[in-house]
Amino acid sequence: MRSKVILVITMLMMASLSHADYKDVFEREFVHKPWVGARLVEEGVCVDCHTAEDMREDYLTIPQEWKRSIHFDNGVSCHDCHGGDPDDAAVSCGTPHSGFVGTPEHIGIPDMCGKCHIGIKDSFNSGGHGKALKTTGEGPNCVTCHGSHAIQKANIDIINQVQCQKCHSYERAKIMKQALFMTEKRIGDLEDSIIELKNAGASTEEEERALFRTHAEFRTLFHSIDVNLVKNRTDEFTKKLDELETAIASIYDDLTFRRNFSGFLLLLFASMSVIIYIRQKRP
Amino acid sequence: MFDKIKDWIDKRTGLRDIVDSKLRTFKVPDDSGFMSTLGAVALAAFIVQVITGIFLMMYYVPHPDHAFGSIRTINNEVPFGWLFRSIHVVGSNIIIVVAFIHLLRVLARISYKRPREMTWMSGSLMFFIILFFCISGYLLSWNQLSYWSTTIITNMPTFFPLLGDMFANFLRGDEFVSGATITRFFSFHVAFLPFIFVLLVGLHLLLVWRTGLAGSKSGGDASVSGSLREVHDNGIPLFPDYFTKELFMSFVYISVIFFIISFFPLMFHPPAAGVEANPLAMPDEIRPPWYFIAPYVLIRIIPNKFIGISMLLLISAVFLLWPFIDMKEERDLGKRPYLRASIIAGVVIWLALTLGWRLL
Repeated sequence: MRSKVILVITMLMMASLSHADYKDVFEREFVHKPWVGARLVEEGVCVDCHTAEDMREDYLTIPQEWKRSIHFDNGVSCHDCHGGDPDDAAVSCGTPHSGFVGTPEHIGIPDMCGKCHIGIKDSFNSGGHGKALKTTGEGPNCVTCHGSHAIQKANIDIINQVQCQKCHSYERAKIMKQALFMTEKRIGDLEDSIIELKNAGASTEEEERALFRTHAEFRTLFHSIDVNLVKNRTDEFTKKLDELETAIASIYDDLTFRRNFSGFLLLLFASMSVIIYIRQKRP
Repeated sequence: MFDKIKDWIDKRTGLRDIVDSKLRTFKVPDDSGFMSTLGAVALAAFIVQVITGIFLMMYYVPHPDHAFGSIRTINNEVPFGWLFRSIHVVGSNIIIVVAFIHLLRVLARISYKRPREMTWMSGSLMFFIILFFCISGYLLSWNQLSYWSTTIITNMPTFFPLLGDMFANFLRGDEFVSGATITRFFSFHVAFLPFIFVLLVGLHLLLVWRTGLAGSKSGGDASVSGSLREVHDNGIPLFPDYFTKELFMSFVYISVIFFIISFFPLMFHPPAAGVEANPLAMPDEIRPPWYFIAPYVLIRIIPNKFIGISMLLLISAVFLLWPFIDMKEERDLGKRPYLRASIIAGVVIWLALTLGWRLL
């Protein structure tokens, strides 16, 4: 009997020892661990100074513009573009060695944006806009069309008469817009379909990623402003979009099946209700 | 073949005798209509929730990193997972409607009078537990809508001084809705609440059995084994006549669920429900689920939050203890103009607060 008691106590002790750090693990894993969705957009000291009373008036609106931008929505913070240390204003704004660039030179802007938008930078530099900027130092750069801090998700309407005629006639730009139109429209329609499917609870991550890749690649292409290049490669993008459309159509088919199946169950249970009702009316 | 199976079971359990002596002889009022079966429908609805809930539990992961993903897996990868989840979600909303109409009917028929005070109390407690079931289950999907709704709901008790913060922190397991809240709500939802609820269902059914169903024409109370029971000698037998009515209404309930899934699949799935919870990105519009809008708006429109939360607690207490507050013997609502007006006013105010919250 005594040996059995000792055995049980030993087993319990071993079990306790093996779970001794359970509370710590539980707290670390479940209680205090930030989850995937909790992505912090670092504001740092930049916003503190740029909202302070003694800041230059035209710099005060920058934080608000940024918070309305697609960069903010995607967690891109001040130092991601401007460099410097987001925790130390003295290092950021005081010493150029920190890599901080407050207002970049006109010609240097594609390099700043190209830190992330690498493909687009290369495409831009190889095209007429990029060459003009490089040779004259006065050609258009990224912010000429896209703006800076309040930057929004771009669409085909960014190519318009008012915008293009700031520098040249609209004719060439119009031809480019026409070449882009069908592909851009299909991409827009697919984006709408994915949103609709997501709202319906369908899993669309794969299609979303594929569409994002295709869209980014397509946009990289037309920053060269080479109409012939766009026309020549449109077939390639059409094929990719066809594949995506097929994948999205199959998700719609799945939703239709769900609707039809629950409709069948509705009919089944409603019929059973009717049968029970008729039977219970009998004397 | 079927008779042989019945005989086999009967010889071993005496089931036929139990049905004959207990169920066939138990009479319910002869004017019992379909609306009188709503209690049984609510029980059937609970069983549906249990069955679908067990299935969901096989795949659900109560962890903030995986909860949303596991729901998406259930919806899109598990064979017919979407069906079980849809039934569970739609059912969790209409069970409230069924239970509420059942309670309202008992209130309007003044059926809570002696000897049914305990039946009323157990019923209203079950209604509160159903609401708690719904809130705790709502968070588990871990989307923007459920996260921020739970933030609002778990903040409501904090308006109550001293104990409020303590209670809110107990509910959340943290200062704010976090990973601790999801595990806590999961344990409430699948272990604690079902246990309490099943106990209350048992008590409620026992009390209904002992006191009999309340009819508009009572045959009078008889003493049965020491407790009072309303007798309906000319009533209809519980089995099979009344049971068939209950079965019919339960099937109608299930048909309603499939009707909503077929024709209004997004009724309880607004766009924010498709986005994973993010405590740093507050949606433009936050509101609790529809059944909590009325109390939420009530607290919002009363400037003093302490008075607001106290009023809610008072209303709940009055609701729970109503048989002891209503001292009049009269059981005909037609002869109780103040009570009738109060019930109508209560329902209208509740509907106005629920439907008109956007105007505030």
